[in-house]
Amino acid sequence: MNDEQLTEAWATLEPRADQRRRINARVFAWLEAHDTSLASEWISLFRIAPFSAVGLATVSTVSIVTAAPLAWLVRALI
Amino acid sequence: MIDAASMRLFAIFSSRFGGDAEPLPEDAITRLVERARRGDPEARRALYLQLVDRVFRTVRGMLQSDEDAEDVTQDALLKVLTSLHRYTPRTDARFATWATTIALNTLRRRFRRRRPELTTTGELPEIAADAIDPTDDLDRARQRRALLIALSELTERERAIVSLRYGAELNASEIATTLGIESAAVRKTLERARARLGSRIETLLRPNGGTI
Repeated sequence: MNDEQLTEAWATLEPRADQRRRINARVFAWLEAHDTSLASEWISLFRIAPFSAVGLATVSTVSIVTAAPLAWLVRALI
Repeated sequence: MIDAASMRLFAIFSSRFGGDAEPLPEDAITRLVERARRGDPEARRALYLQLVDRVFRTVRGMLQSDEDAEDVTQDALLKVLTSLHRYTPRTDARFATWATTIALNTLRRRFRRRRPELTTTGELPEIAADAIDPTDDLDRARQRRALLIALSELTERERAIVSLRYGAELNASEIATTLGIESAAVRKTLERARARLGSRIETLLRPNGGTI
């Protein structure tokens, strides 16, 4: 077999349509997530699910506010 | 000369129809890299389309299964597309060489702890579980099978060199750069592996010549 025939043979190893779709989806989902700022993620969340977003924001705020005193208390007890 | 508008149109069409990308000349690739670095998503998509099939067929020649090749292709392309700021165009190495080196490093890192799958001669293809696309014609499927069997009979180094030559379409000096070995050693190994591969594939594809 010559170089050209071997190059053609290698073309049979190319991804099938379903494999190609999976790779495309994963790569572009990751890149999109990488490109999107945290602020715009929060804005989209408020737009899509306002109640869940408010709940999540409340829980996050409470966690952040209470984390330091709790850690201090645990250290004092230990 | 391909202008920006043509490249933009090409990227839109390719992304819309999921079609294969025609290989672009190196200067057009360099311009795409520049645009992608500045945050142009279409340039990034066009670069992705230039690389995806090339990377997949290259790593598939070195790996045991399609699933492994999918994972390595995905990781390698993410690495390439998020590391464009580190790429410096060189006269002696194309963008494809740089991207292939990243793919090869990704593959090595991923399978460092699962060496046998990569290295043991005779264990490469997962032929029995190898899904065949119903849209593929039989000849193509047989050729694919024969190639994977023939590849499994090569050593790891031979497999890497022929995959880089015919999958990534690199020349001997680019393969030498990618693998960190001498060009002369690449040429010698390539010649030997090509002869073995060619004769084995021909035997396998001959009527009653093999098991496929």
